[in-house]
Amino acid sequence: MKKFLAKRLGSGSLAVLFSIIFNFVIIRLAPGDPATLLVGKDNPNPEMIAMIREQYGLDKSMFEQLGAYFNQLFHLDLGYSYANSRDVWDMIVERLGPTLMIALTGTLIAVLIGTFIGVYAARKKGTFIDQAICSISYLFDSTPSFWLGLMLILLFSSILGLFPTSGMYNLRGNYTGFAHIMDVIQHMFLPVLTLVLLNIPYYFRIARSSVLQVMSEDFIMTLRATGMSEKKIFNKYVLRNAIIPTITVFGINLAYMVTGVSMIEITFAWPGMGRLMLDSITKRDYPVISGIYLVLSISVAIGMIIVDIVYATIDPRIRIEE
Amino acid sequence: MNKAKFMAFLGRLRHNKQMMIGCILLGFLILIAIFGPSFAPYNPKLLQDDTLASPNATYLLGTDNLGRDVFSMILYGVRTSLQIGFIAAMISAAIGIIVGGIAGFFGGIIDKILNEIMNIFMMLPTFFLILLVVALFGSNMTNVMIVIGVTSWVSNARLMRAQAISLKERTFVKSAITMGESKWSILIHHIIPNGIFPIIAQTTMNISGAILTEAGLSFLGLGDPNVFSLGQIINNGKMYMPRCWWISTFSGVVVVLIVLTFFLIGDGLNRVLSPKMDANK
Repeated sequence: MKKFLAKRLGSGSLAVLFSIIFNFVIIRLAPGDPATLLVGKDNPNPEMIAMIREQYGLDKSMFEQLGAYFNQLFHLDLGYSYANSRDVWDMIVERLGPTLMIALTGTLIAVLIGTFIGVYAARKKGTFIDQAICSISYLFDSTPSFWLGLMLILLFSSILGLFPTSGMYNLRGNYTGFAHIMDVIQHMFLPVLTLVLLNIPYYFRIARSSVLQVMSEDFIMTLRATGMSEKKIFNKYVLRNAIIPTITVFGINLAYMVTGVSMIEITFAWPGMGRLMLDSITKRDYPVISGIYLVLSISVAIGMIIVDIVYATIDPRIRIEE
Repeated sequence: MNKAKFMAFLGRLRHNKQMMIGCILLGFLILIAIFGPSFAPYNPKLLQDDTLASPNATYLLGTDNLGRDVFSMILYGVRTSLQIGFIAAMISAAIGIIVGGIAGFFGGIIDKILNEIMNIFMMLPTFFLILLVVALFGSNMTNVMIVIGVTSWVSNARLMRAQAISLKERTFVKSAITMGESKWSILIHHIIPNGIFPIIAQTTMNISGAILTEAGLSFLGLGDPNVFSLGQIINNGKMYMPRCWWISTFSGVVVVLIVLTFFLIGDGLNRVLSPKMDANK
């Protein structure tokens, strides 16, 4: 197990290191220059551009810049945003909260509902209900998140008038305490609903196919031969074995969660990482782009390592194969 | 594959409902992609006086804010989506087959290195990377296709690697090695042609993924501004929601249909490939 863990950690750190260099190089290879953007198009003053270049170290070679960047990271400093003159770390932390709020709530609800429907469909295999659920799941799998978001806004906000269309809280409300929480929940409803609807098919399919897979295995036949009740076989043996793939996929989804919800956030103008990503990219705000990239790749790497460890703990065959 | 086996394969294909629906839809899409522009009642670039007209007899699906006919725009948009989906998925398949084939067949240190590279690519935050490249290097169709292809090959490579590893042990490959055929020649003539089927199924699924990604990019305003794309139409219509709902709604329905088509075909192919999975259905 120790060897397995060391290998995974090594592979994860390599991925993060590669991500940092890759991201650093690709941004600087791109056409366009943040100094000219900062100075503005109307009055490009060469002296000012030179000053800004020097101030941010943009006049040095790419190699030196990369060295300086690593040095900075080593001191846990993500630098200052060009466009907002704020600490990048603060900006990211500020946005990470709202993103996790939607992503965690949505993913958890989707796992519960999706697994439940999947197990139910597997037991009713081949019936009309099973086929209907399967067809609906295909449909949601093919739906772009942003469009589903727009359609939900159309239905729930414009036609039914039940929920607000965008933002995280009512700016004019000035609610405090419990009223504030209710206000945020009301704003969260549609983005979370979009995420849930789009994620249910994954968990549904996995639960359904793994239940069917386990049911067809020999040991279930043996249990039946012993005369054990179907109910007991299902609850005690089938479910327990069938839940493993769901745990894995849930873990992988958690790892990619932050990028996964960015389109939904942008659609609902939710103040999360999605908007920050898009803004920093269009403004060529290098430190912010690099910072987001770093946070994302580290979180994905950590998530994947955790999944591997959990999986290896549950299923010893994986360890041995390695 | 001999004739009897092939007939059995066709038989399974015919009994596969999803596959049938998918193929019928695909037929329609290809017709639209080829002949769509000649069906279009108006030139989609034509700015007419009726701006934001709701769907009626003259404008089947209404018009947008500039008075362009939504139906005609969608017909052109389907072509763009299919083109981007196909080419991006082909790029991803080509890289995947080569990398996976080499890793699996050559084995040893080459396999270790390539496998590590695959792991790294698996961990990259793909959507952010695509966003970054398209935003920084310009949003034309070529860039969009290449970047989607280059970031989505890992699943193909993994499949091809597994295929190569299992094919390597088969008698016909071993006899080719004994007869002194070069490794590259075996890879190209025996391993890849015999192991390609799962990659075809995966590539069909990847077309869906690429079309969704392109729609997402266009929705963020990062699509190619010179062509009509479904994502762009949705994005444009968003500003006139909810009163002028038809612009975004209809174009979105078409995206869902296109993605669904390839999804059904890909899933159907997978089922035909592994009858065990089909039996579990």
